[in-house]
Amino acid sequence: MFKIDYQKQEYIGIENYKTLFSDPVFVRSMINTVIFVVFIVSLTVIFGIFVASSVFDKNSKYVSFIRGAYYIPVMVSMVVMSMVWNFLLNPANGLISYYARQSGFPTVNFLGNKNLVIPVIIFITFTINVGQAIILYIAAMIGIPKDLFESAEVDGVSRLHTITKILIPLVRPTTIYIVIMNIIAVLKIFVVIQLLTGGGPNNASTTLMYYLYNNAFKYNRLGVASAVGVIMFIITLLLSIPQLKAMFKE
Amino acid sequence: MFKKRFLASVLALVMALSVLSGCGNKDTVDGDKKDSGSKENVEITVWLTPHWKGVLDANEEGADFDSFFKEAAKRFEEQYKEHNVKVNVEVIAGDQRDELLNVSLNGGNPPDIFYESIFAMGDYVHRGALVPLDDIIDDEAKSDIGSNFWDNVTFGDKVYFYPFSHMPGTFAYNADMFKAAGLENLIGGETEIKTWTLQEFDEILNKLKTDLPKDKYPNAYPMGLFALNNQGDTWNLAYLRMFGNKFFNENSELVINDENGVKALNWMKNIYDNGLSNPGAESVSSSDVNAMFQNQQIAISFINSVLYNNTIADMEEGKMEKFDVRLANIPSESGDPLTFTYVAGAAVFDTKDETRIKVSKDFVKFFSSDKELVKASKNGIPVRTSVANEFKDEKPLFAAYDENAKYMFNFTGNVPGYGELRQVLYPEIQALFTNEKTAEKAIADYQTKGNEVLNKAKEDSVIFK
Repeated sequence: MFKIDYQKQEYIGIENYKTLFSDPVFVRSMINTVIFVVFIVSLTVIFGIFVASSVFDKNSKYVSFIRGAYYIPVMVSMVVMSMVWNFLLNPANGLISYYARQSGFPTVNFLGNKNLVIPVIIFITFTINVGQAIILYIAAMIGIPKDLFESAEVDGVSRLHTITKILIPLVRPTTIYIVIMNIIAVLKIFVVIQLLTGGGPNNASTTLMYYLYNNAFKYNRLGVASAVGVIMFIITLLLSIPQLKAMFKE
Repeated sequence: MFKKRFLASVLALVMALSVLSGCGNKDTVDGDKKDSGSKENVEITVWLTPHWKGVLDANEEGADFDSFFKEAAKRFEEQYKEHNVKVNVEVIAGDQRDELLNVSLNGGNPPDIFYESIFAMGDYVHRGALVPLDDIIDDEAKSDIGSNFWDNVTFGDKVYFYPFSHMPGTFAYNADMFKAAGLENLIGGETEIKTWTLQEFDEILNKLKTDLPKDKYPNAYPMGLFALNNQGDTWNLAYLRMFGNKFFNENSELVINDENGVKALNWMKNIYDNGLSNPGAESVSSSDVNAMFQNQQIAISFINSVLYNNTIADMEEGKMEKFDVRLANIPSESGDPLTFTYVAGAAVFDTKDETRIKVSKDFVKFFSSDKELVKASKNGIPVRTSVANEFKDEKPLFAAYDENAKYMFNFTGNVPGYGELRQVLYPEIQALFTNEKTAEKAIADYQTKGNEVLNKAKEDSVIFK
């Protein structure tokens, strides 16, 4: 509602919001953020359930190994992970393009192609996020009483039915927690964008958080940046309400 | 019961906060206005981004980026008569500059002095955050420092930065790769900044592409191009002037959308499409290109004088493989080289405290004009003719840079909103490289979006009021 300068602030009504919605980069960043949230959260939940349900009842050493393997990217800083991916994907001196050239294959610029950049960032963020979900799901699944599985086994229920009818409904609170936490985390997606694509090519991978950061700290348009913050809050709220409702209903 | 507990918790929290707030420091200036003898105590803060290590030379023991300012502060504190001064020196990362400055300005606590390249600080002049320095610039400084440097630091009719040294931007080329490709006749001297015509430049790139031995230089490219972000965008700006475009008009508006601007973008696009540059320029940064140049994967790259010195030093210290690095100008259609420089100097922030502003100005004048301290400018290229002459035998490239100075253009045009304008260019170049836009469309969009940014910034600029 204000045009903020470091010396003064002036009331300008909804001018900041008008500026935002007339800026195609903002609209693009909003669409991108929603795409990231939907795909990364879905992938994280589906893959988390898949891995956890496959291993939770196996040998404890094997479970620990799987947990450790998937948790390493979570422990490593997002900055380091982004740098590793940059080292792999850089079109000029990255490892993947180097081997592609050596083997005579055509090289693909994963970060410079506007159709590929979004799936690539979804994949990278997913690989960094999924470890947390797997840990939580395994913990939740181990906590389910064994007699439920034994009685299902006695009744001749298939593995798939055990997972869909017993496991998934019983880990619902964990799913809700993971979904809400991941929505909040992915809405704030910033480091990967800043370090890998800089929002490019031609703003194709800009997100709300990156847009907010640029406005707040680079262009010093604090009013506009605050408006983006309010919009992010509303989006988080809207996306979280159904989940919270489901949780309280329980 | 619950209400009571809640109220008790809130009360406890408020009390804890009150106690903690009492632990905070009092405002530095007021708290420091105690008498010590008859003089007032004044504490000022200097921020700088990394420029050179050591007081005068990087070989000194314990040389670091703040050594010069700490030594200057020590000497200033000893000789300053009006107040008891304490100067705090802090080095901040260059890529965090705007973030830190914006946060400190909005918090009402900016540094007193900032030493940085002027191009990055112009927006703060337009926002009214800096104070003019005309009152500390004397005739001796005006005559010793060339007029092109004063143009760089003058906004409206006032000087806002005290020029100290400068850092010209050129091309660097790997003369060994040139020789391997049979380009001996186009190699310049070791202490020369070679000027090629545009035709010669095209010939060089094509020959490097076809004749560079693949066994000796595998995965090597003739030239480095980059457009991931605004890093090193001054070279892209220089290419846009290649066919004679003026770039800004007298109203501080972009005038790039003409035949020459389109030609320039098409030139870049042809280089890229014909495999005369590294691939994937749209997602490659200038740091990547520099690393590739140092790994001998790129024959012609961007460089500035400090980067050049660091590259040579790294080779001598065995940190990278030695090869023959030489300098060249960015060519243009007219035949005159395109040359620019990053003038670095100190600015004083308007802290609203007259005493601190006065002391800060005196300190800036002290280290920017002291006969001994100004010698440190040899770590870049000195703006003072007297210093350049003193070191010309030790640093033969000073003369070559000096020869170039007459072709220099002021790439920022000192326009308001230059920082945000930088964010507009690289997405358009990315769109060009990825075939999303033609050169005509990209240049038109750059001008339209750029002028929107400039006009908005002009409305808020104290210089244009």
